[in-house]
Amino acid sequence: MLQFIIRRVLLMIPTLFVISALVYFIIDLPPGDCVTSQIEELLARGDPDAHARAAELRDLYGLNHPLWLRYLEWVGGIFRWDFGLSCQDTVPVADLISERMMLTIIMETCTIAFIWIVSFVIGVYAATHQYKWGDYVASFIGFIGLSIPNFLLALVLLYVGKVYFGLSIGGLMDPEYIDKPLSWGKVVSVLEHLIIPVIVIGMSGTAGMIRRLRANLLDELQKQYVVTGRAKGLPPMRLLVKYPLRHAINPFVADIGGLLPDVISGSVIVSVVLSLPTTGPMLLSALKTQDVNLAATFLLFVAVLTVIGMLISDLALAALDPRIRFGATSEK
Amino acid sequence: MNAADLRYPQKTLVADYTRAATGVILCGAPLLLLDVNRWLAALLLAGLALFALFLVRTALRHRTRYALSPETLCADGPGGALVEWNRLDRLKLSYFSTKRDRSDGWMQLSVGSTGGRLIKVDSALEGFHDIVERAAQAAEATGAPLSDATRANLRSMGIVVVGQEETV
Repeated sequence: MLQFIIRRVLLMIPTLFVISALVYFIIDLPPGDCVTSQIEELLARGDPDAHARAAELRDLYGLNHPLWLRYLEWVGGIFRWDFGLSCQDTVPVADLISERMMLTIIMETCTIAFIWIVSFVIGVYAATHQYKWGDYVASFIGFIGLSIPNFLLALVLLYVGKVYFGLSIGGLMDPEYIDKPLSWGKVVSVLEHLIIPVIVIGMSGTAGMIRRLRANLLDELQKQYVVTGRAKGLPPMRLLVKYPLRHAINPFVADIGGLLPDVISGSVIVSVVLSLPTTGPMLLSALKTQDVNLAATFLLFVAVLTVIGMLISDLALAALDPRIRFGATSEK
Repeated sequence: MNAADLRYPQKTLVADYTRAATGVILCGAPLLLLDVNRWLAALLLAGLALFALFLVRTALRHRTRYALSPETLCADGPGGALVEWNRLDRLKLSYFSTKRDRSDGWMQLSVGSTGGRLIKVDSALEGFHDIVERAAQAAEATGAPLSDATRANLRSMGIVVVGQEETV
């Protein structure tokens, strides 16, 4: 297992370096830079010092340096938790992202927990009650979740909440807690406001997981060893948990890594629609204004979370089922 | 059958030393050369400890000689151990791969006899197949319990343990 962990961690490090470089260079590819739009604004207002101001800002943000040098400075700064200056408001990226990053991590963690718990329970129920009304309900929820885009569901819930229940669903906390230090009231408010975004963002992932778990478990339940076990009189719960569920759960564990980027990318538009103070809206605006430091930092965090998710899923799978697959061969 | 002396090939050991050294440098260099944030420093220290542990394990493997005989498997080296086949009570054969399709991986065998320490060997070891075959025969004789994964991995190596077929 140590060998496996070492090899996986060694693969992670260059992967993250390559991702960071790709992200940084690609964001900078379009013509212009983050100062361009600000200067255009000044020029439109007829400011005579616009060009001088542009040169000043480019100097401040280091935009006069070659791209590779800016990249190296940014990467070097990561170790000091210094991600450079953001073009939005000329503040350090680290100051801009800290609270949003924390709220994003809380929201995504809750969403993933929601997806696992709900899909596990419903998936197992649907498979063990095939073609009963519960299975039809679960399948219906699954298809609805798969077919409705997250942002549309968010809009519908916003409308229904406001018109029929008089509830304001947007935001991640009550307005009086915004920009206030952490308190018990703020935590409760965040938890209350998390319910709708978690359901909206987790809906499609849950639906997909339900379908996969149901299909895998049905495959296992139809195998001969299960029929034999049933014929021998094994209690149904023991027969389910001891073998078929263990086998059917493998793809569930393997999906952990893929779930994280799906949830994060799916939450960007939902965060805009629901006015959530997470990283999504800020990332979108950073990409639009070519704020390379800010956008690259967000995307690097997403990459780190994805790679860690993949590592956890691989380790869990290796521990759960260290079995050779057909067609695979052992080396050496 | 005479006792066979088995060792890890030089090529495998060099590859493992290279991995350990690369990891130690990648985690240690920023700690030495840069002013690292304390949380990141903790993360890098954890990585450094992991790769240092791997370096020690590789060095131990380098110094260890495995002797396979009809009666025993002996790991002769620092922290050595002995497994008596007629008292075998633990056998686990795992398969690991870093690829998504789980191809090109390696096997790891863990064996232990009553009251004794475990011996873990990888498929890189010369004579690995002979050890697995002997361990499977011993498991058949002693009735040591085998997991589903172990049975599947044994089958993939063309080894079936009588009395340990998949049952419910």
